[in-house]
Amino acid sequence: MEFPVENKIFSVSEFIALLNIGLKKSVVKILGEVGQVQFGPTGHVYFTLKDENNQGLINCIIWKSKYLLYGIKLQEGMKIMASGHPEVYAPNGRLSFISDTIELAGEGTLKKQYDELKKKLTTEGLFAPEKKRPLPEYPQKIGVITSKQGAVLADFLNNIGKFGFKIQMIDSRVEGQEAVSDLLASVKTFRKKDIDVLVIIRGGGSLESLMPFNNELLVREVATFPVPVIAGIGHDKDTPLVAMAADFSESTPTACANLLNESWEKLLLFLERCERNVIVRYEAILVKYLAIENKLKVAFEGFKNALSNTKNSLKGYLDSSLAGFKSLLSTIDQNLAAVEKAVFLNNPERQLRLGYSIASINGKIIRETKDADVGDIIDLKVSDGKITSEVKNIHPVK
Amino acid sequence: MVKEKQDSKNLSGNLKRLAEITEWFDKQEEIDVEEGLSKVKEASILIKASKERLKEVENEFEEIKKEMNAEI
Repeated sequence: MEFPVENKIFSVSEFIALLNIGLKKSVVKILGEVGQVQFGPTGHVYFTLKDENNQGLINCIIWKSKYLLYGIKLQEGMKIMASGHPEVYAPNGRLSFISDTIELAGEGTLKKQYDELKKKLTTEGLFAPEKKRPLPEYPQKIGVITSKQGAVLADFLNNIGKFGFKIQMIDSRVEGQEAVSDLLASVKTFRKKDIDVLVIIRGGGSLESLMPFNNELLVREVATFPVPVIAGIGHDKDTPLVAMAADFSESTPTACANLLNESWEKLLLFLERCERNVIVRYEAILVKYLAIENKLKVAFEGFKNALSNTKNSLKGYLDSSLAGFKSLLSTIDQNLAAVEKAVFLNNPERQLRLGYSIASINGKIIRETKDADVGDIIDLKVSDGKITSEVKNIHPVK
Repeated sequence: MVKEKQDSKNLSGNLKRLAEITEWFDKQEEIDVEEGLSKVKEASILIKASKERLKEVENEFEEIKKEMNAEI
């Protein structure tokens, strides 16, 4: 809405609107002590802030939605820091400071608020060890909430392993009370996304700078987040309550990345070991196989020799038996020839055909002169018959 | 004659018988022409049969020898 200022006559409302445009640009932080506090019927909170020592006082308003966000119960005398801008309320012309954020001021107060909330949530069991969930094995879909500013994200990304992670990141303020609304919105956004693990990371800081991570609503969001949450929120001594509510709390973004890498690296080692085992066992089998192959070769060679020897022996036996048999046949042949000759020589007909005759007296063969007497009748057997003759003379040869 | 036919293929039997015949001739002091003639006839039959059988055996032997040499 633009107002031409020169020669313009404003209505009161118009002038107040003009003032408010200018005032809205005056975003400041005011440190002061809470005076009167009134809770309106709609839930908005009206209070005054005043100087601790001086006379300054200003009316302040914080809308219900903001007031509930920061978990601070305003009380008279409380020292706080409010950020926001001034605004004139047209119906009564009253100037009020519209607080966007409120936070407790002073280390002691912050510590007290931290301790009280920690005690309350501990009693509720939000930090109970049995509530902690393990990381899924081999997580892939990672949701990351952090600020793109600074080295935190780079540290995380530089250390996350190359295991096919699908990383979705939501840029969020991480410091000051303004961060609370960002962080809450980011966590709620990730509730609707398909992720395996949520990682919330930021660098270290004082209790004061880490106060967004002690916000009750944020702690409860983290505690009831549907998948495991890793908090990587650096700190000195007082662990941020978000980190306590998370399933895992690491000190650095690098440690968060390493935690996510862990199961993958174990798997990698396991696979490498398997690979080595397979190679070693295969080599062992190969060695055994080669040994068996060599033994077989030797055995085959031996068998071949045995066959050859057997063949040679058989050949020898065959040759011997053939020669023996041949010799036997030859002997039989010779025997037959000898028998034939003997039979031929002994054939009586042959003798008779040669001119020899067999002389006998009364059937008795005459071999000597004494076997015959003069006058004996001699039978002479010749080749074709018999001749009968008488002995005339006998002349023995001396 | 039946006996001769029976024995004529039995080489060992023939040889044994021929040995007996030659021994018989060797032992004779008085030659019985008829008996001697009979022995001669028997011997000549046996010798002929034995020669034939010997030839057969030799042929068979040569065949076996060829086969065995081819196999080994």
